Amino acid sequence: MALVTKQILDTPIQHHFSPYSDNGGTTVAVAGPDYAIIASDTRLSAGYSIYTREQSKLFTLSETTVLGSSGCWCDILSLTRIIEARMQMYLHEHNKVMSTTSLAKMISIMMYGKRFFPYYTSTIIAGLDPEGKGCVYSYDPIGHTERANFRAGGSSGALLQALLDNQLGFKNQENVDKTPVSLEKAITVVKDAFTAAAERDIYTGDGVHLCAITKDGIKEFNFELRKD
Amino acid sequence: MSIMTYNGGSIVAMTGKNCVAIACDKRFGIQGTALADNFQRIFQVGPHMFVGLPGLGTDTQTVYQKIRFRQNLYELKENRKMSPKVLLSMISNMLYERRFGPYFVEPMVVGLDPETAQPIVGNMDLIGCVNIPSDFVVGGPSSDQLYGMCETLWEPNLEPDDLFETIAQALVNACERNAVSGWGAVVHIIEQDKVTVRHVKTRMD
Amino acid sequence: MFLTRSEYDRGVNTFSPEGRLFQVEYAIEAIKLGSTAIGISTSEGVVLAAEKRITSVLMEPSSIKKIVEIDKHIGCAASGLIADSRILTDRARVECANHWFTYDEKMDIESVAQAVSNLAIQFGDSDEESAMSRPFGVAMLFAGMDSKGPQLFHLDPSGTYTQFDAKAIGSGSEGAQQSLQEVYHDSMTLKEAINHVLTILKQVMEEKLNSTNVELCTVSPDKMYHLYSKEELEAELAKVSSIHDPSRPDVAVIGEP
Repeated sequence: MALVTKQILDTPIQHHFSPYSDNGGTTVAVAGPDYAIIASDTRLSAGYSIYTREQSKLFTLSETTVLGSSGCWCDILSLTRIIEARMQMYLHEHNKVMSTTSLAKMISIMMYGKRFFPYYTSTIIAGLDPEGKGCVYSYDPIGHTERANFRAGGSSGALLQALLDNQLGFKNQENVDKTPVSLEKAITVVKDAFTAAAERDIYTGDGVHLCAITKDGIKEFNFELRKD
Repeated sequence: MSIMTYNGGSIVAMTGKNCVAIACDKRFGIQGTALADNFQRIFQVGPHMFVGLPGLGTDTQTVYQKIRFRQNLYELKENRKMSPKVLLSMISNMLYERRFGPYFVEPMVVGLDPETAQPIVGNMDLIGCVNIPSDFVVGGPSSDQLYGMCETLWEPNLEPDDLFETIAQALVNACERNAVSGWGAVVHIIEQDKVTVRHVKTRMD
Repeated sequence: MFLTRSEYDRGVNTFSPEGRLFQVEYAIEAIKLGSTAIGISTSEGVVLAAEKRITSVLMEPSSIKKIVEIDKHIGCAASGLIADSRILTDRARVECANHWFTYDEKMDIESVAQAVSNLAIQFGDSDEESAMSRPFGVAMLFAGMDSKGPQLFHLDPSGTYTQFDAKAIGSGSEGAQQSLQEVYHDSMTLKEAINHVLTILKQVMEEKLNSTNVELCTVSPDKMYHLYSKEELEAELAKVSSIHDPSRPDVAVIGEP
């Protein structure tokens, strides 16, 4: 018996620490000719437990740019705080607010800067570019970025991107008017998308926080989702 | 990569008003390499009944043959047609026999009940846990995309023509966002008086 | 001037009791010995012209560069110790490239001037943290187009940078600045500005103006930074000589009382 105890004590025990957690959440963004909208659900969870039902994942960075991010919540907080600090530094250094396009590039570089210990996030930014056109940029965790007309990211990204292709990009549709959708129509599609995601994805639900960005400013909307 | 997505190929089935539909893509590949654009994953197993077998290609074919074997024995012994619900039970039991060395397929059954003509769609996991919902079932590597499409596009009591449009849009758009699905599609619409098979052109990349 | 030399001359960053930094003041004096360079900012773009002193017939004139490109949208003219200007223009180029890389946009001229000024004041005796042991003995004109439109900035050895509508630096700067003040107006076209800078340069230069002893560049919305070739320069010089006062063949009318 004593020998067994000794053997156990002598055996090295490996301990693990995982620096990441997946707190779920979904972000959807749409760029129109003169507007951009971005929305996120408000559920914050870890595994089968829900931390809160009212945590928006949107961050208003300027009068023309809003960022949405899901994934590891602590990384999202850290990333957005550093972005805010960098934007403040830019403002003081160059006497102007950073444009959405410049911000898009800077975020990419900041994320790639942590190439070997990445921010574990699925990030999307939406806003108006310097010409006043709507724009959406999406990122992978290590800073790959792409400008798009619409994008779904996060835990329901796979469910919703195909839907947006069809409903906003008019993919595989014939004999339809393929002009970009209006702001009101885009909001409707985004709402439907979240309703669908909340049906099948346990990490998405409770509510949606939506920002509509136009030259007149940012309008915010909230609506409910199923809570189970 | 999971063995379930080794060969690609996604299937979706939906109920409509006095009709059901089942559709799948035609790709067969080995991981990223596409090998064929005419692979069959949906099989007719009765006048108003089809099975779809998403998963590993070889198991798709083996399980189909085993289904036919057992179904033929049933229909000869009982001297009556098998109903979709019975077929689901039979496949479920067959898969559970291989509980610890399963076939890598997640079978799907659609049909109209021979007695009541009630539309049935059902599926199960690879060891036979059955699920018979009232709306739709999806399977294969594009399941996530199909869920997103179906949750928004599907509505109750679709007429056959609308059901075709709905299921085709759901499948084609879902497969376009999945690297191992696509390369053409086929849709089966099952009504009491006829079965319509339509091949859908898709982008071939 | 040199009679006032005192122990406060020794440390480059040591204030005299009167509150002066002699080495910086001497550096400002030094740039007044440099060749003349002139810039004018108009609503259509900015023009820079610089004198090149060809001190020997055996010299290869094209090897002297007083006007250089910083980025596609910025040009820079220097006067004073051109070796020092190389360090500053190199920094300006790096800052512009970094800004484009990080923000996907052209760097503003003011920001370039500020970035270069940051380097220009990093002089000191200590080995650490100083880029240079003495103030940079060079004055610079940054001309460019940015989000605010055409811009002209002047940077001196103290690191002070100031925006100008028109500015002259170097040995002929006093007279040239006076002339600029007389001719400048808001609605000046770029063509007029080119004529003015060449005419004024001609007045203040000891040598006769020709296509080898002057450099000319414009920064305009369509062409951005454009350094004039020998042929283009000759065409511009021809226009300048055509408006000569016939009674004073080597002096232009414009800017004269």
